[in-house]
Amino acid sequence: MAGTNRSINPSDIAKDFKETLLEMDADELREYTRKGSIMDEFLEAQEVKELTESLPQIYNDQILVELALQRFTSIVDKYQEQPHLMDPYLEEMTLRLLNITRRSDIEPQLYHLAFKCLYLITKARGLKTVVRVLPHEVADLEPVLHLLYQQDASDTDTWETRYILFLWMSIICMIPFDMSRLDSNARTETGEVREPTMLRILNIGKRYLSVCDKSRDAAAWMVAKFLTRQDVKNEQLPDFIDWSLKTMMEVEYDTMRGITTLSGILMAMKWFASISNTQAQLFKHGKREDLEEYAPIILEKLIEYKLFDIKNTQIRKFTMKLTQRLGLTFLKAKVASWRYQRGSRSLAENLKSTGPTPAGVNVPTTAPVDEDDDYDVPEEVEDVIEQLLVGLKDKDTVVRWSAAKGIGRVTNRLPQELADQVVESVLELFSTVERDEAWHGGCLALAELGRRGLLLPERLPQVVPVVIRALLYDEKRGACSVGSHVRDAACYVCWSFARAYDPEVIKTHVNQIATALVIATVFDREVSCRKAASAAFQENVGRQGSFPHGIDIVTTADYFAVGSKAKTYLNISVYIAQFKEYTRPLIDHLATVKIAHWDMVIRELAAQALHKLTFKDPEYMKTVLNRIIPLCSGIDLNTRHGATCATGEVVHALSLYAEEQNSCIGDFLDDATIKALKEITVNMEAGEMFKGLTGEILRPAACDLIEKLSLSKLPCPEKHVIDHWQSLLDDNLIQLLRTDIDIHSKAVSAFSAFCHQYYRQADGQAIPEKQDDILNRYTTALKHSQELPRMGATKAIGNLPKFFISGKLDQIIDSLIGASLKTPASEKFAEARRDTFSAMTSVCKTAGLSNEDSTYECISKEQINSVFAALVEGMMDYTTDSRGDVGAWVREACMVAASEIVQLVLTQQPTYFDQEVYKRLMQILAQQAAEKIDRTRTCAGGIFLKLLYQKDPLVPHIPHRQELMKIFTKRDTQYLIWSASADCFPKIVQLLSLPTYRYNVLLGLTVSVGGLTESLVKHSGQSLMTYLRTHNTKDELQIIADIMLTIFKDYQKIDRVSLPMLKMCDLLLSSGSFDNLFEDKESSFPATLLDLLKIEIRKSGDAQKLLSSIDVFCALLQFEGDIRKRCLTQLFIFVCHKYPKVRKTAANKLYETLLVYDDIIPEEHIDAVQEILTETDWQDKIEVVRPIRNKLCELLGIPKPVMKTKSGTDSEKND
Amino acid sequence: MGLLTILKKMKQKEKEMRLLMLGLDNAGKTTILKKFNGEDINTISPTLGFNIKTLEHKGFKLNVWDVGGQKSLRSYWRNYFESTDGLIWVVDSADKRRLLDCREELRGLLKEERLAGATLLVFANKQDLPGALPAEEIRRNLGLDDIKTHHWMIIGCSAVTGENLLYGIDWLIDDIASRIFTMD
Repeated sequence: MAGTNRSINPSDIAKDFKETLLEMDADELREYTRKGSIMDEFLEAQEVKELTESLPQIYNDQILVELALQRFTSIVDKYQEQPHLMDPYLEEMTLRLLNITRRSDIEPQLYHLAFKCLYLITKARGLKTVVRVLPHEVADLEPVLHLLYQQDASDTDTWETRYILFLWMSIICMIPFDMSRLDSNARTETGEVREPTMLRILNIGKRYLSVCDKSRDAAAWMVAKFLTRQDVKNEQLPDFIDWSLKTMMEVEYDTMRGITTLSGILMAMKWFASISNTQAQLFKHGKREDLEEYAPIILEKLIEYKLFDIKNTQIRKFTMKLTQRLGLTFLKAKVASWRYQRGSRSLAENLKSTGPTPAGVNVPTTAPVDEDDDYDVPEEVEDVIEQLLVGLKDKDTVVRWSAAKGIGRVTNRLPQELADQVVESVLELFSTVERDEAWHGGCLALAELGRRGLLLPERLPQVVPVVIRALLYDEKRGACSVGSHVRDAACYVCWSFARAYDPEVIKTHVNQIATALVIATVFDREVSCRKAASAAFQENVGRQGSFPHGIDIVTTADYFAVGSKAKTYLNISVYIAQFKEYTRPLIDHLATVKIAHWDMVIRELAAQALHKLTFKDPEYMKTVLNRIIPLCSGIDLNTRHGATCATGEVVHALSLYAEEQNSCIGDFLDDATIKALKEITVNMEAGEMFKGLTGEILRPAACDLIEKLSLSKLPCPEKHVIDHWQSLLDDNLIQLLRTDIDIHSKAVSAFSAFCHQYYRQADGQAIPEKQDDILNRYTTALKHSQELPRMGATKAIGNLPKFFISGKLDQIIDSLIGASLKTPASEKFAEARRDTFSAMTSVCKTAGLSNEDSTYECISKEQINSVFAALVEGMMDYTTDSRGDVGAWVREACMVAASEIVQLVLTQQPTYFDQEVYKRLMQILAQQAAEKIDRTRTCAGGIFLKLLYQKDPLVPHIPHRQELMKIFTKRDTQYLIWSASADCFPKIVQLLSLPTYRYNVLLGLTVSVGGLTESLVKHSGQSLMTYLRTHNTKDELQIIADIMLTIFKDYQKIDRVSLPMLKMCDLLLSSGSFDNLFEDKESSFPATLLDLLKIEIRKSGDAQKLLSSIDVFCALLQFEGDIRKRCLTQLFIFVCHKYPKVRKTAANKLYETLLVYDDIIPEEHIDAVQEILTETDWQDKIEVVRPIRNKLCELLGIPKPVMKTKSGTDSEKND
Repeated sequence: MGLLTILKKMKQKEKEMRLLMLGLDNAGKTTILKKFNGEDINTISPTLGFNIKTLEHKGFKLNVWDVGGQKSLRSYWRNYFESTDGLIWVVDSADKRRLLDCREELRGLLKEERLAGATLLVFANKQDLPGALPAEEIRRNLGLDDIKTHHWMIIGCSAVTGENLLYGIDWLIDDIASRIFTMD
């Protein structure tokens, strides 16, 4: 029984895990990954030791110091989450560092460095823990105090030193000797009586209370500790309080300095108060609180100086904490006897008792008021409580949190009657007029009270409803809302209830709490709240045991499962809804709250969840439906949208349910409901709700509704409704000119379902007039002057059902092909063309291929071939706009479409395509697979290999199939990463050896090799050169060279190809890839290339092109004779080109080239030429540089270029 | 400042520990817990799901999760808001047939990420029954000496007589406390 059904396959868990991760949105994922790693022990103890020991050697080397500090920081940062792991080493680490500073002859840099490290440890482990392990010997006192007095308070680089020194001081100053004994022989050399040590300590502390760095915190701590010494308290406390109150009054609250001083003093007072509170508690009765006599005056001043309203958060936080402490000093240090307690729970006691004792007996909750409770409560306590209650509403969380803790602590000491008033006041915070802060603070306070047993069971009937409202708190604020912190805090309250009360007490409220927690667990928008609710639920199940179906729910809605809201809405909620305690509450919550949520995603999820929940309670859902329908045309836009989505989903679900019961929706719903359903969109239209921004949101929902009503087979004999729906769809598909939201996809699927349901005759044929009308209008829209209507119409046509396109294929295919052509008006409509090609394919697939050429219900041979021709055309679409190569979308769509068309033909009518089709397709795919866009390459390469290796049906007529299979192995179909240029180019260049693919592959490579991305250029270029090195016979090179020239010629002046071509020529020529070819001096390649090059730059003003061509001209200088001469001439023209940049680049390049080929210049002129080229400022005016240039021509024996008189511009021409 | 942060802070402040009580079914987990809690141990039926009890001991607040042995344990005790500090593995020392099962189950459990660092206390329970294996025998059978990832101890005990329960818990609390709390 044990092992078998408990075993869980680890791989299943891993899979689940992965799916959960995939479903998470960004927020959820962040929450998930925050978990971090958990460590077992502090691993770097040895390293820290070594680092510490190295400090005296390295402190003078700034770089080493920085490295050491960096390492130190990264070590302690690792333990930020579990700093206690350092504890076993803490004392050793700190002592070692302190010992460095204790040396007498120490240099400041070194001790500053050691203190920096100490601070890092303190930061990670916390002040109060570190302070305990610091050494405290009398001998340390004087040196530390001395060092403190030496410090420069304004040095921003060494505040850590001051911080640690104060910390150290805070423990040294507690030595159990009378302070005065230290002063016995304290006379300075000059014989003056030194200030008593006690004052010196206190004064330096006070001085640092007003500095603005962190050493203030340590100083405040030290002062607080010091003041708790009996001798210091007796002598100095009154003065200190006086001084503090006076300073508080004097400082200016609107200056930085004032604020820092204030917070220093408050911090010291707060700590002092909290230490004396604790001490008083330790000694219980008989011990007067140190602050007791001063507390009233301090409180009075805090209120008088309005410290509770100061803008600075920190000040308010400290004030709040101090107030709370003052409040405690007014009250006896005892716990309220009236508080609620669960039975005896001491483990040792229980084990001692022999025999069973009755289970967890309740201490009577309303114990007779014992005499202790009868004491007078000073009236100041009321002030304290009032301030704390106001603090619960503070705008900052930290302040509210401090106030809540204060309420808990103070109430703990109050007599029952007064305590009850506090609870009453806290409950008043939960009102609609209060802001979210008040609700949050209220929740925190309730949880604090509950945790301490201060919320008596009698109060629960009032408290529970309030908490449940807080669990759902969501206040709209502008476009979004606030409240997740309130809901989270409400979960905390529920969690604390689980711990505080006995199951009997909470029993009557269990259903309410359980339901509210379940709703929060599955339907809260925030992942943190879902998790908090699920944790609170679990705690309740474990401790109360009485939560209905608790175990099943805890198992299903666990921490990970609630990570994805798609999963909680659509799966977990359905699971929970099977338990009838939860079914209707879940449905009601969605139908009233979540469909009106401000976040569209939530509204849509809510609608989908309602669909699924319908099956759990269909009869109830009918009434829910009647509640939702009127909301569709209500006032609030969000509600309208959510209600519309929900209506569609619910009706659809009900229709499915009705069918299961062998009924139909028409019989299942009453006539009034059906009538109301049909009127929803009519009313919206009448209310002009589809206009503007409202429309953007409502249109998709309306389309959705039409789709769902169609799918539900809602009977609709009314012609006006059908016409209205049709016009609504038309409006969204072919009238809409501009939108940010994807309305089309919703409208398209609605259109298809709608035609299916309402335009089909009993014989299965389309209603002829409707078919004619719609197809005419939509095919006309394909030629619309705007892109969006074209796209809408295209998608709609592509998605029409078979019966609707039957008989109209000629018209449809022709217009789609027509729309796929580039016309001057539609040239830039790349996205519309992309959709056209997809639509063509879907139409072909929907209709299927005909047996004979004549049938017009299916696609004929002729049609499929023209579709293919259009696709081939589309694969050459290189449209660009401001977004870049938008043609790539078209090309990709065409490649995908072509592959699908090929499958269609092969499975249905293999004879329809001849061999040429396959050859053409493979060529183009090979070309696209060599081009520069990673995504396009992936698409092309993937299809190329798929066709190559496809078995069933085998793709016939693939040229060079065997060779291709050698280049690309079967494994490559899965593992070759086409987007990684380093992986795919070495493979694709090998196609250059296959005649059929050569041209296309080189064409593709050209744009890659001459491209812009560094890695792309590098890998494609290297692959090409490697290929040429391994195929370097003259004949092989000749073939490639010829194709290069052909491509150049074919794409002359087409910058997309010709510009990269220039770069590729330069690369290949200057790398010597063609050297074997040029051994034959007769090769015509250089001359032809030069001709093409000159045509390419003729009349070109494109600087990029001119600059690239300079490289090629220079590379061509290696060919002696006529070519060299012509190139030089051209370069000299550039040297005086109208663009200064061209002039300069040409001169530089020429200079470099002349260095490489030293036979170009007659030897006697080498120096002169080089000097002119390098010394002249070629960016100077043309008039200035022209004579210099002409001089060069003379030296090189080149006729100087002369201005072409005809054009009269700067362009020059040589004779 | 969400629930997670609050609970984390509170745990340190209030000196709370979370202990998981696990083991095969019928090992006596609930009996031990009831004994701890001073409840009647004569009427105990198989635990479905789990119970959480809070006990005070040596100044610590122990949140003990008693998880039913019958079904898949996994999801009941996973609580991502509180980490587990100690694991009490209860063994029925008289049930020799299932010691192998017991060993495998414990092995698998210790691999759980959420239990990393938790201290393990093995209660060789039902020592009062005739034919119960001694703790040493159980230690060998469970292969405890191979466990290097957790601090552990095994002790023979009896939930019915209460023998050694306190001793085991004391050891567990001391081990955890030295690890996660700073002593004042």
